[in-house]
Amino acid sequence: MLFNSLTFVAFFVIVLALHNAPLPWKVKKTNLLLASYIFYAAWNPPFVLLLWLSTIVDWWVAKGIYATEEKSRRRALVGVSIAVNLGLLGYFKYGGFLLENWQALMTAIGVTWTAPGWNIVLPVGISFYTFQTMAYSLDVYLRRARPADSFLDFALFVTFFPQLVAGPIVRPTQLIPQFQEPVRANRNQLLWGLGLMTLGLFEKMVIADGALAPAADAVFGADGAVPFADAWLGTLAFAGQIFSDFAGYSTVAIGAALCLGFSLPDNFRFPYAALGFSDFWRRWHISLSTWLRDYLYIPLGGNRKGWHRTQANLMITMLLGGLWHGAAWTFVVWGGLHGLYLGIERFIRERWGDAKVASTAGFRLFLALLTYFLVNLTWVFFRSKDFPQALSMTRAMLGFGAPDGELVLSTFLVTTVIAVTVGMLIVHWFMRNRRLEEVVARSPWWLTGLVWAGMMFLIVITQGTGNAFIYFQF
Amino acid sequence: MPSSTSSSDSEPVYSRRVPEISWPRVAVVAAFLAAAGVGIWEAAWRIGEHYEASYRNSDGQFAEVRRRVDRREPNATVFIGSSRTQFDIDLDVWQELTGVHGIQLALEGSNPLPILTDLADDEDFAGLLVVGITPPLVLMPGIGSRADALERYYNETPSEWASNKLSYPLERTFAFYNPDAALFRLLERQPWWPEREGLPFEAPEVRKIENMRRDRQSDLWNRVEDDPELNQVVTSTWKAILETLPPPPPEEEARAAFETLLANVARDVGKIRERGGEVVFIRPPSSDWFRDFENRATPRERVWEPIVGAAGAVGVHFEDYPELREAHTPEWSHISSRDKAQWTRALVGILKARMAESGVHRPEIGS
Repeated sequence: MLFNSLTFVAFFVIVLALHNAPLPWKVKKTNLLLASYIFYAAWNPPFVLLLWLSTIVDWWVAKGIYATEEKSRRRALVGVSIAVNLGLLGYFKYGGFLLENWQALMTAIGVTWTAPGWNIVLPVGISFYTFQTMAYSLDVYLRRARPADSFLDFALFVTFFPQLVAGPIVRPTQLIPQFQEPVRANRNQLLWGLGLMTLGLFEKMVIADGALAPAADAVFGADGAVPFADAWLGTLAFAGQIFSDFAGYSTVAIGAALCLGFSLPDNFRFPYAALGFSDFWRRWHISLSTWLRDYLYIPLGGNRKGWHRTQANLMITMLLGGLWHGAAWTFVVWGGLHGLYLGIERFIRERWGDAKVASTAGFRLFLALLTYFLVNLTWVFFRSKDFPQALSMTRAMLGFGAPDGELVLSTFLVTTVIAVTVGMLIVHWFMRNRRLEEVVARSPWWLTGLVWAGMMFLIVITQGTGNAFIYFQF
Repeated sequence: MPSSTSSSDSEPVYSRRVPEISWPRVAVVAAFLAAAGVGIWEAAWRIGEHYEASYRNSDGQFAEVRRRVDRREPNATVFIGSSRTQFDIDLDVWQELTGVHGIQLALEGSNPLPILTDLADDEDFAGLLVVGITPPLVLMPGIGSRADALERYYNETPSEWASNKLSYPLERTFAFYNPDAALFRLLERQPWWPEREGLPFEAPEVRKIENMRRDRQSDLWNRVEDDPELNQVVTSTWKAILETLPPPPPEEEARAAFETLLANVARDVGKIRERGGEVVFIRPPSSDWFRDFENRATPRERVWEPIVGAAGAVGVHFEDYPELREAHTPEWSHISSRDKAQWTRALVGILKARMAESGVHRPEIGS
């Protein structure tokens, strides 16, 4: 079920009513669990079986790990969790990719072999919930957490509908304790939650789908090479689109949970005002970057094993992070570029991080713009359908494009992209060291009401296209 | 990726802060202003633009109507074609004359032959199929711009199904709830945007020209007929679309493609007949510049005649019948909503007679 659908509006009203009805807490939690299954089944009912599989395996695995001190048994059990979750991910998400590459490898060594057709539908959000359940078993294995006492709480943690299909990827220690005691949103939480849902839908429906998607689609859907200006505008449009789409989803998720009385963590903190790439990853898809940090980068040794290992660990983490996003080499290159940026940044910081110039306002602005410029270069690989297109776009953006590239964007689209991009950068810069809650608290009440009304009005008159969120495909 | 080695073991349970302001007051103001804004917007479209509430011709609506075929309605009569078939046939008159409420599956700007193939492969269909031919469109590869509609029928999710149902009450209430009135489409078509030098010409989007019913019958919007300015916008859009069509493929390639098309038509019609169904073809009217273009680019003897011939079916071309020719097509391509009842009446009469002449007896039409 999409947040930007009428079905979700009706569904959420019913869930909210049931959650506020005078029912025992266990019944309310059961309602939420059933609602979450309905939410997921509304795409493709059979895929609920995958959720159940992931839930049951990790429930028993974590119990088994906790019950034994035997190292080999603990290791075997956590191996089961990893194998099942990554196995599901591998089969549904990477099966076709692996076969395709195997075939290419065989051809390269002279073996003629044709891969069988691989028409497997990717279950929505599988990358998110498999990582979430795996974190549960890993936390118990690493003795960071105890297993949940109640299967209902655990099942609800795996399935909780606001963040089930596109995050934030929540840790067991963040969410399971919230299910233990009865919770209901108070009036202010409910209204702030609705406000956040409005903001998220505004980002998705008005900014991402309405204002920016047409330009990004036109440029990345063009048959041939595009000139410098169009390549940049298409990429800037995509940069804004993917932020508004994904941050919009997270904001609706946080708002929906808050309306029910639950707190989900932030997933974005105005990333286009980042000063460097460490800063960028502390602001972009925070729940994934911290997941990768805690369950991949640190177990690999983090920064504790010398300079070369640190650089290698960073690169491995980012390459796998890229692959997490999609089963294509373009995503791996996207991750690789981020790994490279992080490595270079670390190198520069170690040598010149204390230089006086680093703290001047002018340098910080330059650094923010440089970061934004380099991030945009990575988005080209993220969005392009293949390497030839990515290379053609990159060439055009660096001024080496084909001189006969065809214009694709109308004056309307050019104006829209520039206006929205400039507006977005100003907002991100203004909000860089602020929290939305603080800004709202300090604003006159009538202004908050006016802005809220404006967003609702614009959502309604934009009408929406019912497009799925981009991150669903991951 | 932060290089910190901190782990998640000490992370506290996250609890969100809520800004300390007077939320009820904010919410009331926001709700009031948003409702007022929507009310004014609705009034602007109704009063300023004379819009009426109408169904949105969505893929979900197509899927819903398409499912009537699966229910094996007795004497099912299905219409496929492009917008002319959708606009020109009056389903109420058809029902009055035949006793059957037709299933309207025509899709604007689309080629009906892939839909013919789809119905030929659907074992549930054994009724009467009326195929509307719009010559340039029938030569397109694939369905065209509305291909998603058929895809939606096959792959509609429960959520999409429910959203479609929930959308209907809004569609029949709000005039602005129409793709033509969507904010960014409205902004894009404003005349103040200067042309970007070097940008290839692109035909504009087709404006609202219809009011659609729940059963997918469309009526040409009276304003297209009555407002010369809008009429001019629509006719110039048709011209722009037709003048920017991609050039035809090389002669040899085109001939081979057309041979395949004829073979497919013969095969599909044969399949439907094997199950006890029947197929008839109609060519709804066009006029003025549009008709001249069609006659030039896709002459009757090179498109219409071979298709009907390959199908071995009854074919009714508007040019052959004065009562079909006389219908008024205000924007050259669709019959005026004021004339469609009479046109449908005439068409049913002609079809009955032609089918009887050909020895085709169908309960769906009483021939």
